[in-house]
Amino acid sequence: MPNGTKTESKALLDADFVRRLERLAIAAKRVQLGRAKGERKSKRKGSSVEFADYRDYVQGDDLRHIDWNIYGRLDALYLKLFQEQEDLTVHLLVDASQSMAYGEPAKIEFAAKLAAAIGYIALIGYDRVSVEAFAGARRQVMRPVRGKGNANRLFSFLSGLSAGGQTELEDSCKSYVLRNRSKGIAVIFSDFLDPEGFEGGLRRLLQSGCDVYAVHILARQEIDPEVTGDLKLLDSETSACTEISVSPALLKRYRQNVDGFCDALRRHCLARDIGYMFAPSDTPLDRLLLEVFRRGGMLQ
Amino acid sequence: MIDQGTGLAGMVDTLFMTPAFLWFLAVLPVILILYLLKLRRTEVVISSTLLWLKSLQDLTANAPFQRLRKNLLLLLQLLIALALALALARPYLRAEMLPGQYICLLIDRSASMQTQEKAGTRLDLARESALRLVNEMRWGDRMMVVTFGETADVLVELTEDRVRLREVLGAIQATDESTRMRDAFFVAQSLHQTNPDLSVIVLTDGNVSDLAQILPRSEAGAPSATEEELVLESQMPELVFFQVGETRDNAGIVQLSMRKPSDEAGEQQTFALVHNESANPLQTTLTLYFNDVMIGVSELDVPPGADQEVLFGHGDLGEGLLRAELDTHDALAVDNQAWLAIRPAAKLQVLLVSEPKATSTFYLQRVFALDPRAELETVAPSNYFDTQEYDLVVFNGFAPPSLPAGSLLFFNAVPPVEDLDVLGELENPPVIASEGEHPVMRYLNPANVGIAKAIRLGLPSGARALASTNGGPLIADVSRGGQQILVVAFNLEDSDWPLNLSFPLFVQNVLSWTPRAALSETRTTRAGRPLALPPDPLAESATVAAPDGQSYDVRLDPMRPSYFAATHQVGPYRVALGGRDMTYAINLLDPVETAVAPAEALEIGRGRVEAQKEKVTVNREFWRWLVAAGIAILALEWWVYSRRAWV
Repeated sequence: MPNGTKTESKALLDADFVRRLERLAIAAKRVQLGRAKGERKSKRKGSSVEFADYRDYVQGDDLRHIDWNIYGRLDALYLKLFQEQEDLTVHLLVDASQSMAYGEPAKIEFAAKLAAAIGYIALIGYDRVSVEAFAGARRQVMRPVRGKGNANRLFSFLSGLSAGGQTELEDSCKSYVLRNRSKGIAVIFSDFLDPEGFEGGLRRLLQSGCDVYAVHILARQEIDPEVTGDLKLLDSETSACTEISVSPALLKRYRQNVDGFCDALRRHCLARDIGYMFAPSDTPLDRLLLEVFRRGGMLQ
Repeated sequence: MIDQGTGLAGMVDTLFMTPAFLWFLAVLPVILILYLLKLRRTEVVISSTLLWLKSLQDLTANAPFQRLRKNLLLLLQLLIALALALALARPYLRAEMLPGQYICLLIDRSASMQTQEKAGTRLDLARESALRLVNEMRWGDRMMVVTFGETADVLVELTEDRVRLREVLGAIQATDESTRMRDAFFVAQSLHQTNPDLSVIVLTDGNVSDLAQILPRSEAGAPSATEEELVLESQMPELVFFQVGETRDNAGIVQLSMRKPSDEAGEQQTFALVHNESANPLQTTLTLYFNDVMIGVSELDVPPGADQEVLFGHGDLGEGLLRAELDTHDALAVDNQAWLAIRPAAKLQVLLVSEPKATSTFYLQRVFALDPRAELETVAPSNYFDTQEYDLVVFNGFAPPSLPAGSLLFFNAVPPVEDLDVLGELENPPVIASEGEHPVMRYLNPANVGIAKAIRLGLPSGARALASTNGGPLIADVSRGGQQILVVAFNLEDSDWPLNLSFPLFVQNVLSWTPRAALSETRTTRAGRPLALPPDPLAESATVAAPDGQSYDVRLDPMRPSYFAATHQVGPYRVALGGRDMTYAINLLDPVETAVAPAEALEIGRGRVEAQKEKVTVNREFWRWLVAAGIAILALEWWVYSRRAWV
């Protein structure tokens, strides 16, 4: 569908909730290289107060970093190395395919809220936030931003997201990874209902070297459908139709398949050190962030 | 068989044999409606059908009957294809069965068609075949039905009305008649003149007694057919001979007659001839009954295919009904009995008008005295008055001014008959030709009779010369208006005829020829031929009781014999006529009918029509059921298919 569903900008996150978010921070599992000075440990040695190591002085080194106490004692020039503190890039990838428009509330709206919350947490932690909503070749990109001052920008971008197009996780992730080489944390918000499978997209993200988190968003109507009678089901993305006659056996089998699908995704993630978080779209945000995401190790 | 409608065109042509078949097309919209109904499911847009599809597949894979159900669809579709293919293939065979668009059905209803076969009588088999032919009729086909026995009846003219045809065929009754196909054949032939593509189908056992009379057959060894034969053959319609029947298990009485010796003292004899057609020797008895009292039994031992003569001697039986009965249970029962009605010879009142002194009078008195039937009175011409009725009045050398009633015989006199003229006189006329076919000239040959002189007669039209010379007739039959009048154109005294053997024979023939004499003999009539009832001035009608008990009223003519034609059954017919009761015997007595073994071919003219041994139609019309089944299975298939998602 070309005209996607716009998320509502005003009610994206309420102020009270935003204040509560300020107590949270993004947890980085690994030490990564950053782009700019920040509050994260970096692989680089730099100018923070945290001592890291010594090394021999070589010509051209900054004299300011010479440890004069060692020189006085040992009469040798050593450079005192400090842990560099750099920023962390938080990549927020939102699946904006047509299937995300489904549900009450719509999954994309929910995904936008989650992304906004996590992006805000990252911004207040002086991390870079890069947001991209994708659906096949259709992309909605926000230039990476940093600093709390850009929170509104983030919010307005996310509230302007629209759903439409087909899910092509692998292509979308591959394209994003090629364009954004900075490592950090990649959080993908999707229903992972891709006819091609979810594995390809997650693999592309892992290959980028980021810490990957998969936020699996499903609408309540998808988890526990309330349908009866003889129906003709139309796929919102492919327009493929499936005719069903709803029966208890069919519903039971469907629920088993939904559970099986979620379980398969969870196991896949677990095996590849991807953080998996299951997020039904009707879950209260605070509970999700404060409990599920913290338990998932993404927030601290 | 005529090969009509071969190839694709023929097949397509036979596809729509009955337009009623097209009603099945109504099923098509039904299926369409079912399809449309199925399309009108509530449409629901969901994020992705991935999981639903998977669930459906899981269910269809898991449900134990799903595999079977999938196969069931396949099976049903195969069945449909099979049924439709068979239904399509079937009509092609049938295209070979019916030879043409116009069919003349000749059905034998003679006695031999009553022969009992395994599946009913031959007539039943023929009827079945005919009904099957009617069922095979296509749109525009016309059929006519002619039955033939002793005579032929057109039961229905060319018609498309199959209901009527079935009705007519169902009503055909077997008769005890002989088989004469000529009339039926000519009906078909005359129809063939106007409908050249008429096909004639003969349903018979082939035991036809008059095949030789249908077309004149060439003499054996004739090099080629005459022109006349060729013309006749070119007018012959296409004949298909469907042979009905197989059995030859039959024996029957083929002749029964009674011999009365001329002298009163002699013993009377009854002669019977029994034919055994079956392949086994016949050992049984032939019993003779007179008025249902047994008067003779004869043991029989007839070899297969042979005849045996039986002679019963008995005294004068007097008036009554003689019945011969063959004690056998064979396929054809009609010929196991035969009847003879015996009536005492009637005394014929004969008046001789002649000069008493003449020699010729003496000759005539002597010759009439020879015949016990005649009671002769003689009267001189001068004393003759037309007062009393005689059976026969003989005028010798005298002609009355007006003719009296009864049969008349003139010697040397010309009766006052219109257009009968005296042209002169003939001197020593030799007898050149005589009409042996005429009843009074039977068994006699007047060729060596010498005649001195004779009257030269000019005959009126319609008269027959019974014996002729160069100048004209010598003996003539100038009967008119039902009255029998004979003229002998010479004086007996001028000829040596009274001394010749042919003279008493002639007089006897004349006596037998008189209507009353003809009725008084023990004789039998073939079934299907009319009974001649004697004229009776006192009775207006007669009642005829047939052997089956049915009775008929017959109007009588006071002057001439009346005929009763409904003699389809063998047995005694009792006639009540003017206070008298008479019995007539109707018999089959036909060796051709008794020989029930079916003929292999009909030989008509120079042609030979081989028998079609097959049943007329080997195939029932079950293609319609196939189509119906195919459509039913199709509906079932659709139902199963639509239920597939429903678990």
